[in-house]
Amino acid sequence: MIEGIMIGLGTALTLQNLLFVMMGCLVGTFIGMLPGLGPMSAIALMIPIAASLDPSAGIILMAAVYYGAIFGGSTSSILINAPGVASTVATSFDGYPMAKQGKAGKALAIAAYSSFSGGVIAALFLLVAAPFLASVSLSFQSTDYFALMVLGLVAVSAFAGKGDMIKALLMTVIGLMLSTVGTDQTQGVPRFTLGIIDLIDGISFLLLVMATFALSEALMAILRPKGDADRKKEKEASENLGSMKVSRAEVREMAPVIGRSSVLGFLIGVLPGAGATIASFLAYGTEQRIAGPKKGAEFGKGSIRGLSAPETANNAAATGSFVPLLTLGIPGSGTTAIMLGALIGYGIQPGPRLYVDQPEIFWSVIVSMWIGNIILLVLNLPLIPYIAKVLAIPSRFLLPLILFFSLIGVYFVSFNTFDIQLMVIFAVAAVILRVLDFPMAPMILGFILGGMMEENLRRALLINNGSWSFLWERPLTVTILAIAAACLLLPFLTGWLRRVKDRAYEKTSSSGD
Amino acid sequence: MMLSKDRIGGVLLLLFCLIYAWLSQDIRLLPFQERAAFHARTMPEILSILGIGLALWTIILPGKSERPELGGADWLKAGLFLVLMSAYGFTVRPLGFILSTSLFLMIGYALLGERKVVPLVLASVPLVVAFWVLMTQGLDVFIEPWPGFLRE
Repeated sequence: MIEGIMIGLGTALTLQNLLFVMMGCLVGTFIGMLPGLGPMSAIALMIPIAASLDPSAGIILMAAVYYGAIFGGSTSSILINAPGVASTVATSFDGYPMAKQGKAGKALAIAAYSSFSGGVIAALFLLVAAPFLASVSLSFQSTDYFALMVLGLVAVSAFAGKGDMIKALLMTVIGLMLSTVGTDQTQGVPRFTLGIIDLIDGISFLLLVMATFALSEALMAILRPKGDADRKKEKEASENLGSMKVSRAEVREMAPVIGRSSVLGFLIGVLPGAGATIASFLAYGTEQRIAGPKKGAEFGKGSIRGLSAPETANNAAATGSFVPLLTLGIPGSGTTAIMLGALIGYGIQPGPRLYVDQPEIFWSVIVSMWIGNIILLVLNLPLIPYIAKVLAIPSRFLLPLILFFSLIGVYFVSFNTFDIQLMVIFAVAAVILRVLDFPMAPMILGFILGGMMEENLRRALLINNGSWSFLWERPLTVTILAIAAACLLLPFLTGWLRRVKDRAYEKTSSSGD
Repeated sequence: MMLSKDRIGGVLLLLFCLIYAWLSQDIRLLPFQERAAFHARTMPEILSILGIGLALWTIILPGKSERPELGGADWLKAGLFLVLMSAYGFTVRPLGFILSTSLFLMIGYALLGERKVVPLVLASVPLVVAFWVLMTQGLDVFIEPWPGFLRE
């Protein structure tokens, strides 16, 4: 492990890579702060630049953008109560009330310290967990990988929320369907190309991500423009931040919260599908309960604990989500799915072999997480008053620029104008589906895992002489599939139990009367 | 039957899945491949069944009964931006990067309410030129800057 850390330090601490971490953190914060644009769009916008770099530098840049975007999202949550992404919604519960009390600077500092601590502690866990899991997963076969992919896809949908699971599953299947467009990998047969030569190589994942996230976000903002009151609020928030100092008593109050939320966030982040949003809400709820009635009552009114807990947990979960990506090659979230797509673009297959074959990439990603978090704290925090000015840029200038960067980002990779037209078509579909509240992240996950899933299923069937019995005969495969089934059934089971409980309560209360 | 968001989305995706299922039967297989346990049609066929099943579920048992809010949205402006993006795709080559992108940005700013010529030009042309220099000089990504009639 020490050797690995040295390899990672050697790669991540080169002047070029340090510059990329700095640039990534700054650009990520900038993009993440724009309401509506989250880490997925931020990373997607960076891919064309990352593609021109060597793999280590490219991945380091994207990881830095990821952290920067999460931090930027927290900033807009605190300053204008407009979380760019779901994972920073819980941050706004106490961050925004603090900002309204004139303590925006302090709230930003608490968010930054908490994010930093959560990220650093979780990176330590990652250091231990990733090599261990990688060595275990070396014994996995294609049947197990197929089952793991099913689990990853199902888990993302299962955590989508009440009433949304079936929609998320449907979107996952749509993503899987889109991944089958193009020439079949093994038999060389064209599929769903409609006779269009430009579709022979399939749909580029960058194109799909840009169209369904960056383009559709900007189009949604054009569709429902902000009112004058919102614009005034953004301008005022970017101008008056107040002091950024945090007192010793406040640090003492934050410390145990950070410790607990880091562990919780990391563990949730490791689970495929759960991710930073669930981690932040769970940490918030847990801390509210631990705080007791007096301190707990302060939650939602500008509590330091209420701000620190979700901020720590979402960053720890972001780090945790790299565990399944680096060790199993299975992304645990939409963001890591985009990173997986970028890695595949480099010709790198994440998974247990990455740890053995390309240790410099594996370790430099882990080491760059520490460096990225340090840079976020020492560079971004002092710069926040200036970066926050981005909130004052009028949307009439910002939105066409976002559209331009999204279109040109894809065009600069393929130099094919057909891609721009295809992006427009996907953007239209994405806007319609967003208006109808259909989630996009499961579709991206399905799209990215689709090719690998098909390949592993094909191999599994070949190994088993064309028999599907591997689904119930190999213990590890069965276990993973059983967990996937449990994920699917859990929301229905909890709903049923709640109804039974409610009925029993109604009966006892009516008999009591 | 109430037209909720889930039901409308379900119907649209059901149509997509049905077309996908229909097109999956057009995938050509060689005679020996048809008997194989796994061929180019296997995954699309599984996905078709899953997609149609889930879309029907969404239509029959929608999770939420919320109706779509179409009022208050500026559909015309969003539509104009779609046309603008598509036009950009058609013009970026013949007009060259600098002219087509500057026009794209200026029309975009104007569509969103900017009427003064100076900000329109200053927020587009210098930015486009700087971006072109960064891409060609900094990242070695060349893109033709000039319109076709100015090229040699």
